[in-house]
Amino acid sequence: MQIAKEEIMEILQAYPQEQRYSLAILQDMQRKYNYIPREGMEALAEYLGCPLSSLYSMATFYKALSLKPKGEHIIKMCDGTACHIRGSARLRDGITRLLGIDNGETTPDGLFSLELVNCLGSCALAPVVVIDDTYYGKMTVEKLPGLLDTYRRGENT
Amino acid sequence: MKITINQIPCECERGESILQIARRNGIEIPTLCWHDGFPGQGACRLCIVEVIEGGRAKIVVSCVYPVERECEVLTESEKVRRQRGMILALLRKKAPDSPEIQALCERYHAPEIERFLPETGSRCVMCGLCVKACGELSVGAIATVNRGVEKEIATPYHEPSSACVGCGSCAYVCPAGAIPVQEMEDVRIIWGKTFSLVHCQDCGRVIGTAEELAAAAKKSGQEPDTLCADCRKKMIALSFRHTYGEIHR
Repeated sequence: MQIAKEEIMEILQAYPQEQRYSLAILQDMQRKYNYIPREGMEALAEYLGCPLSSLYSMATFYKALSLKPKGEHIIKMCDGTACHIRGSARLRDGITRLLGIDNGETTPDGLFSLELVNCLGSCALAPVVVIDDTYYGKMTVEKLPGLLDTYRRGENT
Repeated sequence: MKITINQIPCECERGESILQIARRNGIEIPTLCWHDGFPGQGACRLCIVEVIEGGRAKIVVSCVYPVERECEVLTESEKVRRQRGMILALLRKKAPDSPEIQALCERYHAPEIERFLPETGSRCVMCGLCVKACGELSVGAIATVNRGVEKEIATPYHEPSSACVGCGSCAYVCPAGAIPVQEMEDVRIIWGKTFSLVHCQDCGRVIGTAEELAAAAKKSGQEPDTLCADCRKKMIALSFRHTYGEIHR
């Protein structure tokens, strides 16, 4: 994926040139590209006049920021206590079987990424799967293929 | 204000750290992450002491504990020794390959613990002194990367850093000898990058890398150094002699 310099500058210029905005800018980049491109990080270091190492440190510290390109749709699978007891491990296996990806991986077509998360605070709906920002409660392995297909067909964008 | 450390009365100012007061009075407290240039990191926890204040005793980290009122400090009480030994034993698991840590363990009788696997090949105790030195003295080429058990000190993207000037401050301050530096006749290799060394024009001693001297010159707005500290002093002394004449006694 080619990333236009103008696009990055647009994200940067929404903020004053102060180091305290670095996390907010990184979050904006994450939102736009689903990861932090290297070009973006280098441009940010130049924009704020701070060492690249401090930004890299921040980007590797927060789980919400990723340095590797993520898929178009991010599947967050809850593996908190309630979801775990209600069979999230089976769901995880189901995803791995259907998409060939495990925790932290992305499908070769760049459509889906899988992330295991600890608790989404929706234990009443356990087991919960969140795709992008939509919550799917009481998920079963049987429902998974159909749900993923709706994303493949672009019905849920 | 007055406090006692190991029954020795010590004069001090309010807000000074116990470690500073102890050092000034020649009382030894072991440290790893303390450096006079970068005091009070509170990372290694080796400098713990027992403070007795108003009849209550507590263990505090002396490098970041400011003295607020009169108190009694014990640097070698039974409790301190036991806890310090445990801290060292754990640090040894983190950095089993560091001779410095090993020596401290022997000196302070760290117990052997079986519960944890040693991190083979590691010398780093993650005190962060190198990051601080690089950021404040030099260019900020290194930082902590990742978090939790995967945390490490590294350059961005684990590549030779374009910012690094090879000054070696990080390796110099490291208490555990964890940052490898190779120095040959004309080159220094650090963080995967090779720098050419500049020698003193007079005596030929190494004065630094070309990049380091250029960076320092840029900061001070002067020409890069060509002499080592000793030869510079000699030169100044010579010009003094020229100006004022020799003084015979």
